[in-house]
Amino acid sequence: MALIAALAFSVTAAVAGTVRSGTEPGVAVDSIVLGGTAPLTGAASRYAAVARGAWAYFQYANNRGGVYGRKIHYRYVDDGDNPAITVTATRQLIQQDKVFAIFNSPGTATNLAVRGELNGGKVPQLFVASGATTWGRDYGQYPYTSGFQPTYQAEGWVYGKYLARTASGSRVAVLFENDDYGKDLLGGLKRGLERSRVKVIAAEAYEVTSTDVASQIAKLRASGADTLVLFATPTFAIQAYQAANRIGWKPKHVVTNAAAAASASMQAASFGGRNRLVNGTISIQFLRDPTDLRSRKDPATGLYRRIMKQYAPGANADDPLYVYGMAAAWTAVEALKKAGKDLTRASLVAALDTFTAMGNPFLLPGIVVKTAGKDHDPIEQMLLRRWQNGSWKAFGGLWAYPAS
Amino acid sequence: MRREPLRALALFAALAAVVFVLPAFVNDFRAQQFAYVGIYLVALTGLNILTGYAGQISLGHGAFMAIGGYTASILMIDHGVRDIATIPLAIIVTGIAGVLFGLPAARLSGLYLALATFAIAVAAPATIKRFEGFTGGGTGVNLFGIPELTASDAPLQLFGFELDFNNWIYYLSWTIAIAGYVLAWLILRGRTGRAFRAVRDSEIAAVSSGISLTRTKVLAFGISAAYAGAAGALFAVATAFVNPDTFPVTLSIFLLVGIVVSGIGSLQGLVAGAVFIVFMPLWAQTVSKSPGAPFVVYGGVLIVLVLVLPGGVAGLIASARRLTRRRQDFPKP
Repeated sequence: MALIAALAFSVTAAVAGTVRSGTEPGVAVDSIVLGGTAPLTGAASRYAAVARGAWAYFQYANNRGGVYGRKIHYRYVDDGDNPAITVTATRQLIQQDKVFAIFNSPGTATNLAVRGELNGGKVPQLFVASGATTWGRDYGQYPYTSGFQPTYQAEGWVYGKYLARTASGSRVAVLFENDDYGKDLLGGLKRGLERSRVKVIAAEAYEVTSTDVASQIAKLRASGADTLVLFATPTFAIQAYQAANRIGWKPKHVVTNAAAAASASMQAASFGGRNRLVNGTISIQFLRDPTDLRSRKDPATGLYRRIMKQYAPGANADDPLYVYGMAAAWTAVEALKKAGKDLTRASLVAALDTFTAMGNPFLLPGIVVKTAGKDHDPIEQMLLRRWQNGSWKAFGGLWAYPAS
Repeated sequence: MRREPLRALALFAALAAVVFVLPAFVNDFRAQQFAYVGIYLVALTGLNILTGYAGQISLGHGAFMAIGGYTASILMIDHGVRDIATIPLAIIVTGIAGVLFGLPAARLSGLYLALATFAIAVAAPATIKRFEGFTGGGTGVNLFGIPELTASDAPLQLFGFELDFNNWIYYLSWTIAIAGYVLAWLILRGRTGRAFRAVRDSEIAAVSSGISLTRTKVLAFGISAAYAGAAGALFAVATAFVNPDTFPVTLSIFLLVGIVVSGIGSLQGLVAGAVFIVFMPLWAQTVSKSPGAPFVVYGGVLIVLVLVLPGGVAGLIASARRLTRRRQDFPKP
């Protein structure tokens, strides 16, 4: 009998725990609690810099008054890039820590794993740190989820348009990761090349679990292509450069997707300038590049360096992933402001339904974070840049992916 | 000496009662974490039958969990089978997979078997991605909110009680874990268990006593995989999502770590191994969140544990019991 009584007690207690007491979870007079997951351990742990950058910016914003007097407490927990752990960690944030929203967790599979549950519970999944197309495309079905960065498809499209305009008649060979990430980039590239005189004549996939891409590069070379496109994660992109160099392949144009194009990766790939193939590589950017020499004097980069020094001492401020986190955190602050003083989960989602934020100091000048109507991809503008003698040089004007 | 099994039975009943009332004393979310302890307990029981009792090492039990998890998920999402009904089906499918894998694996031993089992753990995620139309590819299968998943949308009414999702998966997992545990004890105390131990201790001696090596090893693989299949199905139900990355290579290694911590070749410490798998990574994070630090803490604790408790928690229990018994048996002057 005692057991049954205890069980009954447990069940009623559990139910009572889920009943709202009138106030919004995670929102108090003087605080807003945001939660997120990030790979603090494992192979993807460099992406933890995104969460650390965002945390640093929130500290900075809190010291300047927060949002309507509310300080933002951002708790991020480890998921090791394993979606199953993302699920349990996110449940912990929602059910135990009572966070207001999930913010900027990196990864595609990890975010897909919790999207259904978060939307079912009407918890905002704010600014997912992944370029999958599904976040914006499926806004109708999952209105509590919002993406952030340009989609991989948009990025691929820009490379396609660029090659179509400047390299007419080229034959393109593509190395891509065999998952949604690589396939979205490849799909975008092909879309950008439609009705042009540039053709993709070979595409070779590699698995995330592979150890080497040399054989793919050899096959791509044998196809007779004169343009090499690398849609790969940093490790594989570096390998691809080395493999192509080893077999003496000198394609006319080389394109590398933005995720692989951090300055550190490019320097590693160029072997101190000995790998000439790296020179002249094209990629996109939408974040301010903290290593760009020309931006040394600009106030936005100065702000970034100051925040890093104060709130993330010892971290490598040259890593653009910190800039990414700050750009997302800056936008979150804007969104929370727009959601109003009577902040609720519903008011935040309503604020993001039609949303424009200009002047983000961590994005390139001129880039607007914007959602409206059916277009729910917040960032769709980007700049092309070229790797020259050890650093990136931006060129041309902003490219805007057409709203489909 | 008849009192010994009685005492064990009473202890087991007391522990089962603790499991039953635990959700009353912890918050809703903790119940869910303890549900995962139950799930890993199922997997560890199975792995210990194979590795601890039959002496066949497996670095690939994460792959068997994946088979169970995917069987359950696909049955739910594509064929409208209720979650509870998918569990026995997942056990059957994974058990068959275990037997099929055991047939060639029975010829291997030691390091070679470790490599062969490791290979299936490595191959599983890529294989799942390859058959995208069937498995959902890298995107995976989302189960949350579908009617086949009990209590995911609205609380479950059971015997006049209301169980929300967390408590429901807690009781489901632990019911299966305890049933599986008792079943394992029954299997291992009898003829089959003796055959397993004989094969483990000396294959030549086992054969000369009339034990078929192949049949025994294949049986051990089948039983063990069936447990992993049940754990995988429960894992899919509890997580409400499966994807190739939810069953990574490291899962297989964590399972092996689990039975080392609990004590290879004993059922007594298994709960400790399951608790270690669920809570150790979380605890390591609270020590430090700086880059890479949680894994260092995890590794450090593991090394210390293996040095201090070479027999795992089961070894600790055994030596504690020896100590008390010696004190009792000591002749009074």
